Amino acid sequence: MALADYKYGDIIHRCFRCGYCKYPTSWIDLNSCPAYARFRLESYSTGGRLWLIRAWLNNELDWTEHLAEIVYSCATCKNCVEQCPLGFNIDIVNMIIAARSEMVERGSVPLAVKNFLDNIQRQGNPYGNARIKRGEWIKETGIRQYDGQEFLYYIGCVGSYDTRAKETAKTLGEVLGKAGVSFGVLGNEENCDGNEVMKLGEEGLFQSLAEQNIRQFRDLGVSKIVTLSPHSYNAIKNNYPGFNSSFDVFHYTQLLRNLIKDGRVDVSGGFNAKVTYHDPCFLGRWNNEYDTPRQVLNVIPGIELVEMERTRTGALCCGGGGGNFYTDFLSGSEDSPARIRIREAHTTGASVVAVACPNCMTMLEDAVKAEGLEERLKIMDISEIVGEACLVKANK
Amino acid sequence: MDIVVAIKQVPDTSEVVDVVEIDASEKDIKKDTLIFKMNDWDEYTLEEALRLKEKLGGIVTTITVGPSEWDDVLRRALAMGVDRAIRIDEDVTSLDSYAVAEILSTLISRLPYELVMFGAQSEDLGNGQVGPMVAEMLDIPHATLVVNLQLQGKEVRVSRELEGGVLELYNIKLPALLTVQTGINRPRYVSFTGIKKAREKEIEVVSLDKLGLSGEKLIPKVKLEKLELPPAGKRAEIISGSTEEAAARLTMIMKNSELF
Repeated sequence: MALADYKYGDIIHRCFRCGYCKYPTSWIDLNSCPAYARFRLESYSTGGRLWLIRAWLNNELDWTEHLAEIVYSCATCKNCVEQCPLGFNIDIVNMIIAARSEMVERGSVPLAVKNFLDNIQRQGNPYGNARIKRGEWIKETGIRQYDGQEFLYYIGCVGSYDTRAKETAKTLGEVLGKAGVSFGVLGNEENCDGNEVMKLGEEGLFQSLAEQNIRQFRDLGVSKIVTLSPHSYNAIKNNYPGFNSSFDVFHYTQLLRNLIKDGRVDVSGGFNAKVTYHDPCFLGRWNNEYDTPRQVLNVIPGIELVEMERTRTGALCCGGGGGNFYTDFLSGSEDSPARIRIREAHTTGASVVAVACPNCMTMLEDAVKAEGLEERLKIMDISEIVGEACLVKANK
Repeated sequence: MDIVVAIKQVPDTSEVVDVVEIDASEKDIKKDTLIFKMNDWDEYTLEEALRLKEKLGGIVTTITVGPSEWDDVLRRALAMGVDRAIRIDEDVTSLDSYAVAEILSTLISRLPYELVMFGAQSEDLGNGQVGPMVAEMLDIPHATLVVNLQLQGKEVRVSRELEGGVLELYNIKLPALLTVQTGINRPRYVSFTGIKKAREKEIEVVSLDKLGLSGEKLIPKVKLEKLELPPAGKRAEIISGSTEEAAARLTMIMKNSELF
């Protein structure tokens, strides 16, 4: 494909690398782009990346593994979109995704991306674990298979297979169960939601996953979906309607807020800790949902909620977006975004970092260990904090 | 440069080894819960063949012996860029390496080729026998475990991988047969759209009758007695405790292990 055939061929040259894409909203440093924070090279910022993409599509640069890794190091966190002062800022991450699509169709992607996508094609999850093990976490939880309940509780790949994230999936299931919510899961019948597949530029595979999932949800009579992961929430809410779907989809924090408000979840047991909340990109910048998770935390007695310096629209990504929780192009350094984020969380004096995303959970847990802060800083999902607040009450 | 590449379908067990179970016959694994894919070695082999074709021209034909479900791997090969895909319609479950080699060599002898390529082995059975047997049946020279190859006129210069990273170099006269080791290249990604497009391409299906192969020739020379899962190891230890305690325990195990 030549530049002329590239979807953004008529506007990509308009980025003149002003560099705003590297700044956080608070202007405290130059580290808002997770890949730029990690590598400190212009080529890893959005502006630099767009220039490289343009040169590649213009045949001024050959494809190399290194070029592909730079293009794939973007976590699609959209921090740059918040900062870019130009009229086409809404599309700057899409321009990167479109370049990835071109690499996908040419078959030239980094090995980790190939493995990610091959695994999804075969087993429906990036890890390559067996499809028939997807629902194993449900055993002995009492959580039921979906058969017409009010809500489909959609877990996603990370919550289904990652050891730590599975605990979160269970806890949220228990909290919903205690609140008397009518819900069921798909277990082994659940397939990947495709959010990362799309962000990795595999449009054909995404379309196939979306169509399969929509058909399955419809056949089962699903109308309301609550997701564990903001990534699933984003795909089902924003991309599935393009394939004629119309489900009411909630991120679980939205459901919890309503359940607490209605008195169905009783958090009066409280949770005594200074807590800081890490905004997941696919809840925050991709879906403009900043308040609900904070409302849930604020309503729990004993929580002192403190904000990190970079917060809400300017929150630093954990570095796990756009498939990077698996492809791992941003790790291996003190400057890995998850480690920067953990140091930032630590300076607030909080003892708990609250997350609302299984990807953030796994990224930040690793970073806490790498920073040697395990004894002082705990990563907890909001569902787990709510779960503890409920438990305290129940035991009184 | 016309090339024939033989490929096969195998169960995907790379990350899912704990789902493999032996079936009631004790001679096969339970297949209904498994996902199938192209043999890993074959993906590298196809990539190498396609790179040769892109440089030198010619036709790449890929062949397999298997039931219709195996069309999936042929379609993937077509999506990668091979020109022609042929499936010999026969269930290979009861066949041994010799019988498979007999079938493949009969077909290959009717195809145009200067190079025949196989993966060095299959992920499921791991015999590594069919390639060399086919070479003998076709009466052409062969090299196994190839990690590098260069075409030089009517010869191919190959590096074979030996123990400890030692390489053996050979010049082999064409036509020849090579079995290819993984890591020789980086296979391209096959996109979902690419596979969809490949569905429009023809897969030629050939029967054993058409190849003039009777059951007699295919009677296995090797009889499988029984399939068993290896007994679970007893020496695994899950190390618990704080980072410091775990590191101390791990250091002690390593010191006592005679590995250093």
